[in-house]
Formats: sequence, C-alpha cells, structure tokens
Amino acid sequence: MSDAILQVRNVVKRFGGIIAVNNISFDVREGEILGLIGPNGAGKTTLFNCITGIYTPEEGKVYFMGEDITGLPPHKIALKGIARTWQKTRPFKKMTVLEAVTVGVLLRTSNVDKAMREAEEILKFIGFPEEKINALGKDITLMDHKMVDLARAIATKPKLLLLDEVAAGLRPHEMDRLAGILRKINSEKRITMIVVEHVMRFVMGLSERIVVMHEGQKIAEGRPEEIANNPKVIEAYLGTKPV
Amino acid sequence: MVSAEFKKHFTILAILTIALALVPFILGFNQYYILLAATSLIFAVFVVAWNIIGGYAGQLDLAPIAYVGIGGIVAAQLLKYYGITPWIGMFIGAGASMLLAAAIGYPTFRFGIKEVWYALLTASLVVILNNIAHLPQFLGSLDHYLPAKTGWYYLIFTDYQNLYYVILAVLIATIVINLKISNSKTGYYLRAIREDELAAEALGIDVRKYKLKALMTYAGIMGFTGYLYIVLQGTYSYHTFDSPTSLTIAIMGIIGGLGSVAGAFTSAIFLKTVEEYLRSTIGATIPGLYLLIYGILLIVVGIFKPEGIAALFNWAKKKIGFDRRGG
Ligand SMILES: Nc1ncnc2c1ncn2[C@@H]1O[C@H](COP(=O)(O)OP(=O)(O)OP(=O)(O)O)[C@@H](O)[C@H]1O
Ligand SMILES: [Mg+2]
Repeated sequence: MSDAILQVRNVVKRFGGIIAVNNISFDVREGEILGLIGPNGAGKTTLFNCITGIYTPEEGKVYFMGEDITGLPPHKIALKGIARTWQKTRPFKKMTVLEAVTVGVLLRTSNVDKAMREAEEILKFIGFPEEKINALGKDITLMDHKMVDLARAIATKPKLLLLDEVAAGLRPHEMDRLAGILRKINSEKRITMIVVEHVMRFVMGLSERIVVMHEGQKIAEGRPEEIANNPKVIEAYLGTKPV
Repeated sequence: MVSAEFKKHFTILAILTIALALVPFILGFNQYYILLAATSLIFAVFVVAWNIIGGYAGQLDLAPIAYVGIGGIVAAQLLKYYGITPWIGMFIGAGASMLLAAAIGYPTFRFGIKEVWYALLTASLVVILNNIAHLPQFLGSLDHYLPAKTGWYYLIFTDYQNLYYVILAVLIATIVINLKISNSKTGYYLRAIREDELAAEALGIDVRKYKLKALMTYAGIMGFTGYLYIVLQGTYSYHTFDSPTSLTIAIMGIIGGLGSVAGAFTSAIFLKTVEEYLRSTIGATIPGLYLLIYGILLIVVGIFKPEGIAALFNWAKKKIGFDRRGG
C-alpha cells in the first residue's frame, strides 16, 4: 500500500445498458510504467476519465497518494498531480505550440515569462522540432500535436501521467524514439505512467507490468512475458484483430 | 524580450492617444462631428471590453447593453435623486453590473451552458431587462433626463469635447486592461478555455472561475462606461436596453477578430463612423438596416477571413518583419 501512488478500487462506470468499466481494481506503484491494454471498447479511456475526474464513477474509489480523489473535478485532480493525454486529440488551434505548453506550466506559477521559458525547455526535452514552436495548433500535423499534448501534460509537473494511445499512427522508428522519450520522462522527471496502447511491441517493451481489460473487466495483471502467454488474454484478443 | 514587447505596446498606445486627442482639433471643434467621434469612441470601449469575454474567453455574450444600461442607469438615478456625482456613481454602476454578471454567470457556467445556448440566454437578458425597466415601478414608459446642470461634477458639458476626452481616457484604460489580461496567466487560461474547455480543465484550469472572472471584468467596464453613454444619448429609459445595439457590439467584436485588441478597436471605430456617417447623409433611420449590413459583413468575414480585421494586422506585422516571436 505504501508504495502505491494510485489505487483504483472496484470502480464501476455505466453508459445506459453498457457497463464500460466493471468493478476494476489495481494499483500503480510509484515510479513504474504500467501498461494498460485491451481490445477496442474494453473501457480503457473510460477508466482514464474516471481517474481524471471527467466522469465520477458510479461505484468504487480512486486514491491518489493515499487520498480519496473520487468525484473531484478535473482541475483539482490536475493540481494534485495527475496529467493525461487524449486519444482523440484536443489541440488549442489558435494558440501557438509554445503558448499551449505555457498554459500547462502556468498551473504551478503565475509568471508568464518564466513559464514560457520553461515551456521552451520542455519542448526541447521531448525533442519537438524547434522551428515549429511558434506554429499555430491548427497548422501542425496530428503527430506533432500528439507531442504537444504530451509536452502540455508534463508541463503541469504531474506525479502520474496517463497516456491514451500516444503512439497510435506512428511509424516504427518514430515509435522507438517515443519510447525513448517516455523512458526519459519517467526516469529524469520521476513521473509514474499508465500507458494505454494497442501496439503490443510498444507497450510490452516499455512497461514493467501490464493490466489487461476486456469488456470493462480486468482479466489479467502481471509482467509482460506472463501476459503474452496468458490464455485468457489470448482468448480476449482472438476474434479481434491481433496486433 | 518582454520589456521590448511592453515598449512596443506603450509606443503604439502613446501614438494612438495623441492621434485621438487631436481629433477635436482636426474637426475644428465642430460640435456635431465631435459628438459622432465620441460615439465611435464609446463603442470602441464597448467592443474592446467585449473582447475579454467574447474574444479571449470565447463566450458569445450578446448582453453588452444590459451591463451598459444597468451601470449607466444606476449612476444617472444616483445623480438625479441623491445628487451623487457620477465620479462616484460610475463606480457604483460598475459594481451593479458586476453583481448582475455574477448572478447570470454563476449558474450559467455552473451548469455548463455555452455556445448557442449562452448566446440565446444573454440575448434574452437584454429583452428581459427592457421589459422590467418598462414597468411603472421602474422607469415606466417615459424618457428620463439628466439634471439640467453642467460642469465636471456632473460630467455634463455644454460642449462635447470634454466628454470626448473623458471617453478617450476610459478607452485607453480599457485597452491597457485588455493588454494586461492578454499577457497574464488569466489571458492564457481564457484562451485555452476558448480553444477547448475539457483540455483546459485537465491542465488544471478552474474553467468556471476564469469564465466568471472574464464576465465580471467585462461587465464592470461596461457598467462604468454606462453613464457616459447616457450623457451622449441625452436621455435614458427602458429603450436603453436596446437589442440591436447589443448585437452590434458583439458583431463588431467578431468582425474585429476574436482576441485582438487592435482588431476590436479598428472594427468599432470604422464601422460606427461609417454607420453614423451614412445615417447623417442618407438619413436612413431604420435601425434594422444597419443590423442587416452588419449581418452581411459578418457572413463575408466568416467566409473569407475568420480571423477578422486582426488578420490584416498579422499580415502587416509579418510584412514589416515585426512578428512577436519571429526573431
Ligand atoms: N460517452 C459515452 N457514451 C456512451 N457510451 C460510451 C461513452 N464512452 C464510451 N462508451 C462505451 O463504453 C465502452 C468502453 O469504451 P472506451 O472508449 O472506454 O474503450 P477503450 O478501451 O478506450 O477503446 P479503444 O481502444 O477503442 O479506445 C464502449 O462500449 C463504448 O462504446
Ligand atoms: Mg480508448
């Protein structure tokens, strides 16, 4: 219990007749990279929304650093130290890349100049092309935006970062580079992570442990090699597109 | 880097102030033209203030005249019945408008009313206030006049140039407030809210609080300026809560380009001056006609240049190599 930064306990979230998240419990240990996988519609994004306050779970609790954060509004949860990226991107189209990241930094300071310099450093840290930092959100590519989304999130100085399919759509060599960046964020900035991803090679290589969801439920939890050989997991992915 | 930015703004503002201060001289102290110039100037105040809620925060507020009216009528009544100078009354009027803004904004933002629903709600606020003011317990059907006195105590003058300069001072203050907000944490947060509320919230922004802050700041400036508007109009009544005027202010803000102070200012001065000029030359007094012209302009801007007049400034800046962070 003491080394768990996040504890999810029996969380339930329904949409009409669908139980999107069905009695999910797991721990995230301080400092680790936890993979969260599952076929389409498994409930991964909904679970992220329950943790970050976008939805209030109908049942169950979420504890962050020992504190009950269930039902807190998203901005309070961000202030406590949980940041996220979005599967369906949410760019600030009429702000520049640098301004968007500055917004993130401003959570912990009111000094705009300082925040802007820090935003510049963060963009450099994740290797965002320098010549594009003054481009407007509407003028950059989807891939660029995924990096901005990541920069924006780490700019809030979180202790826990939830990544919802950051690697989707990337080419293999870009994916390797991203994995490197995430490891660097994890070790140098000491940010714990939950990584949702469909590309097995990517999550398996990145995560120390993996939680598998299927139709709202947790069906397995363990080290990547255990997960890869787990019959329940293989069955869940059978009939769906193996990746 | 920032002091350079500040210096640039300061220089532009100083030049603008001097240029506007010279206008009464250029007009040869022709009272009629100065009245028209003062009217354009006060609309510039309204549109620049509207930019805070409409431009930065991205809330399509159609109730500017509600806040102008409340603030102005409060200050006018205080002068008329209690002899309180508008120097004090205008602040009380501003406070009254801010209270109204809080009463509207708190539940509205609490329940996440936005976009077209927010626009409709605020548009109906003007109609409701018009009806309430029409009641015999309030202003009734009559036109109300300010006391037939003149002097700085009343801010009522025999000549229009004094009033013109008072409005100019308010305009400069409003522009400064805008620029301050724009370059502050609040400005960044409001723009983030305008771009994507959910993403903004996930970055730790208390969306409700910041929207309310923007609404109350804007309402405060409107309420403060209300008295000067009534002095320009000569009278006040339930007609002060005029829906077409309210719409016009928002439309000028959109044509100017959301979030651009220079665009808001230029749009208001240009459109209001043309409107007043046409009114005086053609003598068309159909208020709906101007609204139609504005509507068409709005469509043109919407189709060709969604960034409005501000796009012209950005283009010019790039041409001169004056771009903010280009270097
Ligand atoms: N806002 C919503 N309203 C209704 N149903 C929803 C909503 N959001 C998600 N669902 C449903 O809940 C279930 C879980 O969806 P969710 O998006 O959480 O899955 P996921 O694991 O993130 O899937 P994917 O890998 O495709 O992103 C799905 O059946 C989905 O259709
Ligand atoms: Mg998902």
